[in-house]
Amino acid sequence: MKVPYNYLDRQFGPAETESIIDDLRALVGTGEFTIGPPVLEFERRLSAMIGVKHAIGTNTGTDALILALKALGVGPGDEVITQVNTFYATAGAIVAVGARPVFVDVDDQYAIDARLIEATITPRTKALLPVHWAGLPPDMPAIMDLARRRSLYVVEDACPATGAAYAGQAAGSFGDLAAFSMHPLKPLHVWGDGGALVTDDDHHARWLRLYRNHGMVNRDEIEMWGVNQRLQTLQAVVANRVLDRVGGWVDRRIEIAGRLDRGLADVRQVRVPPRPPERRNAFQLYIVRCERRDELLKYLAAENVEAKVHYPIPLHLQPAARELGYRRGDFPVAEAQAQDIVTLPGHQYLTNAEVDYMIDRVRRFYRR
Amino acid sequence: MDRSAIRVPYVALPLRAARVKKELMAAIEKVVDHGVYILGPEVEDFEHRFAHYCGTRYAVGVGDGTSALILTLKGLGVGPGDEVITAPNSFVASASSAALLGATPRFVDVRREDMNMDPSLLERAISPRTKAIVPVHLAGHPADMEPILKIGERYGIPIVEDAAQAVGTSYHGKRAGSLGRAGCFSLHPLKNLHAIGDAGVIVTDDEGLYRWLLKARNHGLRNRDEVEFWSPNTRLDTLQAAVLTVMFGHLDEWIRERREVAEHFRAGLRDVVRVPEEAPGCFHTYQTFVVEAERRDDLLAHLRRRGVDAKVHYPLAIHMQPAARTLGHQPDDFPVTRELADRIVSLPIYGEMTSEQRGTVIDGVRTFYGA
Repeated sequence: MKVPYNYLDRQFGPAETESIIDDLRALVGTGEFTIGPPVLEFERRLSAMIGVKHAIGTNTGTDALILALKALGVGPGDEVITQVNTFYATAGAIVAVGARPVFVDVDDQYAIDARLIEATITPRTKALLPVHWAGLPPDMPAIMDLARRRSLYVVEDACPATGAAYAGQAAGSFGDLAAFSMHPLKPLHVWGDGGALVTDDDHHARWLRLYRNHGMVNRDEIEMWGVNQRLQTLQAVVANRVLDRVGGWVDRRIEIAGRLDRGLADVRQVRVPPRPPERRNAFQLYIVRCERRDELLKYLAAENVEAKVHYPIPLHLQPAARELGYRRGDFPVAEAQAQDIVTLPGHQYLTNAEVDYMIDRVRRFYRR
Repeated sequence: MDRSAIRVPYVALPLRAARVKKELMAAIEKVVDHGVYILGPEVEDFEHRFAHYCGTRYAVGVGDGTSALILTLKGLGVGPGDEVITAPNSFVASASSAALLGATPRFVDVRREDMNMDPSLLERAISPRTKAIVPVHLAGHPADMEPILKIGERYGIPIVEDAAQAVGTSYHGKRAGSLGRAGCFSLHPLKNLHAIGDAGVIVTDDEGLYRWLLKARNHGLRNRDEVEFWSPNTRLDTLQAAVLTVMFGHLDEWIRERREVAEHFRAGLRDVVRVPEEAPGCFHTYQTFVVEAERRDDLLAHLRRRGVDAKVHYPLAIHMQPAARTLGHQPDDFPVTRELADRIVSLPIYGEMTSEQRGTVIDGVRTFYGA
């Protein structure tokens, strides 16, 4: 048996793939490639799904983060607080607007440790950028409380977390703005790069629509210097189809995660994180902590289980972070996790037999 | 024949697509079959073809033409406090790319004959803070690169060609994009070589810049786990690369067709408006067919009444845009640009235009002037 990490070759059945190709063929016939009708349809549907007034499609999730920070006026001299174990783009977006990333350590669920945020706030702090890391909402009520008390903006990095929720409220609907990625391995995804922003604020929404499209008020008038970071119409066609399915996919991921949790619960060398019931984890990544991690990875690879590590080097120890002045030891929890986390395949296309095979192989490894 | 019944839209993307639809869909399906949507093999394949076509060592596919300019300027060290010189009559990205990096766009007026940067005015725009010069090959006609390159060399300032409208254009035997330190292309749907959405590409012979760009377009990643520098994500979509490779197979034919239509227009309109001319040694690809006309706004209205969708590129020069307020320019700072802005008209031009449609365009302009 082979348990692949990447599921794109199992995605959709041949009939559904063919029908998406038909939609693309129809798009080619219209020639409406730039912010065409599928983009507008996608934006309407995404905002309804998250429960916010506006959604704005962008070229990538990274762009969505950059645009969110720009919309709030974050720039040189400002600081933005985020967690240290996330994908590089979170910090990259902060640097892209000229601000400084300030990192916070994480908790036992790999989420930003909300109790540690306040100590990192300085007079230069402009925004909090919590991540729904791996699909799990962090303690959003505590983060929103803190932001209100200290008059800070909140941008949710919901890039990996379409379909996640905290106490029934959708990831992406808490902060001033939220960014989603639609990279192929995200729950809501396209066949290439894509992203989106959501917000309830009319002013932000108008600004973002202008800024992502060269600052153009109309064809001839440029209100401000803007970029071109539009969601591809071609990709919006795919996204609209995925929107029909994403709720069901997340349900299946949750089911698989539960099966893995149960199957690994009594393995002493494997630490499954707590699963508080108020959080709906979209399980973009299924991550557990494992003793003798690197050996386990080798063993699993030999047994055809494609496990990965997200990520072996936390942000503060990246070459790019040199000038931020952090040192090994600054974030003990994230650093320890970087040594022993393993991401097991947990996507919606896995069969129960494949999941059980994985569980069995992990158990066997520790029995040897 | 009643020509009033013949409509001439400004672009004919569906017609273009219809000619290659089968090939396009096959290329798209191939990507869907292998599922490598991010920097898939089609991206590198397209980059090889494009570099070869331009006569450069390297090409790097990016998300769009604006990102091509932004990344290239950034790679050359442009940042806050720097100045970048460009032409004021271009699409906004020629200047916004510098402004978005925190630099100040500086403008040089254009020459009437090719509507491109006037090299004789370039030197006086250079300051100790000038970090790059971005001549634009507007409408598909090359800027007069030789004097511009000489000045760049004398001052040690890199030349970045804004070749967004100039795939296939050449200047004394060298393709646009291959003349300066780097060339930046847009492959937007309205371009001669185009994706079915946004796409861009950068060409260069500079290996250091090339290696930096490969990382800069992809989060600054050195490998999956190591980030060398913070950078956004502006990759060329694999699906778009597949589309571009199909389009590439037809590019020469499309340029030839466009030049035929242009020749037709030039012959039919030479005595009533100022038609574009190819400067000696230059190969014009007529991304847009821009004429200079008396009573322009009336002409536009007249054409529209007759079903000809003409446009203006661009009625409001960059230095007069609301976005440029802080630069403090007056309209007359660039007198040629200012005058042209009130006189230029872009006529519809594409190879798919029927001879009846061509006749409608030519008659439309001629009847306005009573010719």
